[in-house]
Amino acid sequence: MSDKKGGIDILDLIKKVLFTDFVKGLRITLGYNVSKSITHRYPDEEKWIPYRRFRGVHTLNRDEHGRELCVACELCVKACPTSCITVVPMEDDTGRGIADRVAKIWKVNLVRCLYCGYCEDACPTRAVRLGREYELACADFKCTVRNREELLLPQPVPESIEGGLVAKAKFERSLSGIKVTADLSATKKRAW
Amino acid sequence: MMIPDISTVLEVVLIAVKVVVVTMILFGLPLPLTWLERKVAGHIQVRLGPWRVGPHGLLQPFADMIKLLMKEDIVPDRADKFLFTIAPLLAMVPAFAVFVAIPFGENIMLPVINKEVSLYIADMNVGILYILAISGLGIYGIILGGWASNSKYSLIGGLRSSAQMISYEISISFAAIGVVMLSNSLSLVEIVKSQGGSLLHWNFFYLPVGPVWCAIFIIGSLAEINRIPFDLPEDEGTLGAGFHTEYSGMKFALFMLAEYVAMVSVSVLTVILFFGGWNSPLPVPLPIPPIFWFVAKVVFFIYFFMWVRFTLPRYRYDQLMTIGWKILIPVSLVTILITGFMRI
Repeated sequence: MSDKKGGIDILDLIKKVLFTDFVKGLRITLGYNVSKSITHRYPDEEKWIPYRRFRGVHTLNRDEHGRELCVACELCVKACPTSCITVVPMEDDTGRGIADRVAKIWKVNLVRCLYCGYCEDACPTRAVRLGREYELACADFKCTVRNREELLLPQPVPESIEGGLVAKAKFERSLSGIKVTADLSATKKRAW
Repeated sequence: MMIPDISTVLEVVLIAVKVVVVTMILFGLPLPLTWLERKVAGHIQVRLGPWRVGPHGLLQPFADMIKLLMKEDIVPDRADKFLFTIAPLLAMVPAFAVFVAIPFGENIMLPVINKEVSLYIADMNVGILYILAISGLGIYGIILGGWASNSKYSLIGGLRSSAQMISYEISISFAAIGVVMLSNSLSLVEIVKSQGGSLLHWNFFYLPVGPVWCAIFIIGSLAEINRIPFDLPEDEGTLGAGFHTEYSGMKFALFMLAEYVAMVSVSVLTVILFFGGWNSPLPVPLPIPPIFWFVAKVVFFIYFFMWVRFTLPRYRYDQLMTIGWKILIPVSLVTILITGFMRI
């Protein structure tokens, strides 16, 4: 409170008497009070579409002819630090994969996985990629292991969308669980 | 046996009805106020605040109420059981008792029984003294609650509360004296009537002393109702939750109730003492009932106290004492002198 120089700064005193700093603070908070909130209305109205670099649930990809890229080399299994990937190879020359060797079983345990992306780095054919799905909550342990068939399904967010967007979304409840479906035609950039 | 005549009976019934109505309103008020406080907090911090329970989170207070009712009512092992139980009541009853003396508007005519009814429970000729005395008693609940809990955080909270009280209560009383000097009456009804007319008759605009009294009163009141920047008795950062650390369930709810009712009573007092009570600020040709102006001003001040809460940081313990003893009391003494000269 006391001035070290000995005298009292008149200007400072007037400022204190008129509560100028207090009024400034009140003006700032009032500005925030009437400004728009930056909270995402997830899951009711909005959903966050992550960037391409996002590392979510794994996907298995196909080439342009619809053949599976995975050759079941098991390099992803070797690279995985948590041993959450299981691959069982088999012979198949019917043209299911790009080579004669395809995966009979390719499954990943999402509870063990730490989404480091080493599997995608190790993959010689770019078959396994980490996708943009991030809603992993479920009611039992069945959904914690994803099989080859599920991972081969097309992605809800296509690769052509760059991401970093907030999309309009619909929140659906049903007996099989809850789901938030994003409407990719109505997106906007993040508010900040 | 003497049979009381009908008008006396009617008078008694009316007073009882008024008491019940005011109590019910006061019990109900914390519900919208907690919602409002959380909404204001949310929006000032660019969040949304309560949103999921009901439209715009409007049912959130009911959810909170159900939660508080169903929680276990814990009494600490070595607490003073009697004081621990009675402390929330000691905090709550004075907060409610303040409203006995508060006038809410001009007399109105009741249509059915054709009788003029005053919008106050009692017009005491020493109303302002009564209010200062009663609201000062609320501090007992806090001190005893802090002491009876047998917890160091509660004890420090209670002690801080008592130290805080002796620092601000004097300057609040001086501010009230200033208003009494301006209005020549201790009765709250007379104080409001003396500010009738237009905006410029309000005590706040009695330059140069009106704003000073108002500032002293509001600063002191912030300390009295334990809100930021003077919420040292329940300083979350250093004391857990201060005096109500050990309280849970309904006992805790009673403390919260007392706090919100105290906030309402302080807003009401600020309006009555400085902002003309139910007098309209400008002559309006429309027939707006006086109680509308009263409620509008009170709502503004409730918002103001919330607004301040999310603007300012908390003062340190010694800073509060410095403000009370070294600034507010000397300033109010000087202002009394100036007011006295102006009123000669």
